[in-house]
Amino acid sequence: MIRSNADVWVVIPVYNEEKVIAGVVEQVLTTFPNVVCVDDGSTDASAQEILGTRAHLVRHPINMGQGAALQTGVSYALARTGGRYFVTFDADGQHRVEDVVGMLELARSGEADVVLGSRFLQNAASVPWIKRVVLRTVVALSPTARRLKLTDAHNGLRVFGRGAAERLRITHNGMAHASEIASVLARSDWRVVEYPVTILYTDYSRAKGQSLINGVNILFDVSMSRRGK
Amino acid sequence: MKLMIFQAVLLTAVVGFLIMFVRGQHGVRMQAGKRLAFIAFLLLNAVAVVYPEATTWVAHLFGVGRGADLLLYALIVTFVFAVINFYLRLRESEQRVTELARAVAIRDAEVLNRDRGLLPPRPPVAADPPA
Repeated sequence: MIRSNADVWVVIPVYNEEKVIAGVVEQVLTTFPNVVCVDDGSTDASAQEILGTRAHLVRHPINMGQGAALQTGVSYALARTGGRYFVTFDADGQHRVEDVVGMLELARSGEADVVLGSRFLQNAASVPWIKRVVLRTVVALSPTARRLKLTDAHNGLRVFGRGAAERLRITHNGMAHASEIASVLARSDWRVVEYPVTILYTDYSRAKGQSLINGVNILFDVSMSRRGK
Repeated sequence: MKLMIFQAVLLTAVVGFLIMFVRGQHGVRMQAGKRLAFIAFLLLNAVAVVYPEATTWVAHLFGVGRGADLLLYALIVTFVFAVINFYLRLRESEQRVTELARAVAIRDAEVLNRDRGLLPPRPPVAADPPA
């Protein structure tokens, strides 16, 4: 069955992705008519690239971080009429549109209010080993990820039903938003389901900070996000 | 033995500050408390300048050898207090900037995307006077 997907909003946070963003957006637009790109104060031509597509563009006047960009995109999409599902999608081309289609099917079936993409449900072998170790450690150290039985707390691919999206308040502007979302989900009574997705580790996405150093940052953010609250 | 008492006082102060500023509400009482503490701090400074031996006398009371050492310890506690205070304020102010920037970004985007034909045109405003 072919759906129009007019009730779906895809939110793509963008920061300095001029080389790939237009291609990624065009690909998403073939399946999903409603795409909102949040340009988080890029210093390159990302915004111009997005203006060349049929995607909505929201520009942060200053760089505020990926968490802030996600919240802005979701807020913008919620203010439009007719949105029932809200998808977060990475700008660097590492997510596959067909995975979103599968996740939406699960959400539409009424079995889940929130669907999270996971690299580890099936084909973990495609994930670089160092990243695998770091991400596994994050999950093991995070009480909320354990409670929800999540296998992958830092996957950018997520589908929220309208109710869940409305109550989402991402306050961690930086990369700690992933753990913040996980802990919000753990405290809620939404049904959260993971869905196996394939991450395309292209040379481009690999070059963009998929490193051990970033893993250290994620670990630090996760431990800090439990304090000072 | 006396040293242990002093350490206990110091540690209690540190933990107390932590709990107070991480958990507590930043109400009028807290504000007034901070200001009174600051005035007391200034007065004590004046006393210490006029009577340098006074700090040593107080230090002995607490079981610390010299007044200078006591000042150092007190300074550390104050510093921790200040850092936590600044951290919390910075976070709050960052949050406000985010809210502001988000409101501006969404408002601008609605105009931009309407001009690009992605959003339905604005319904005419009833209050507009006829041209």
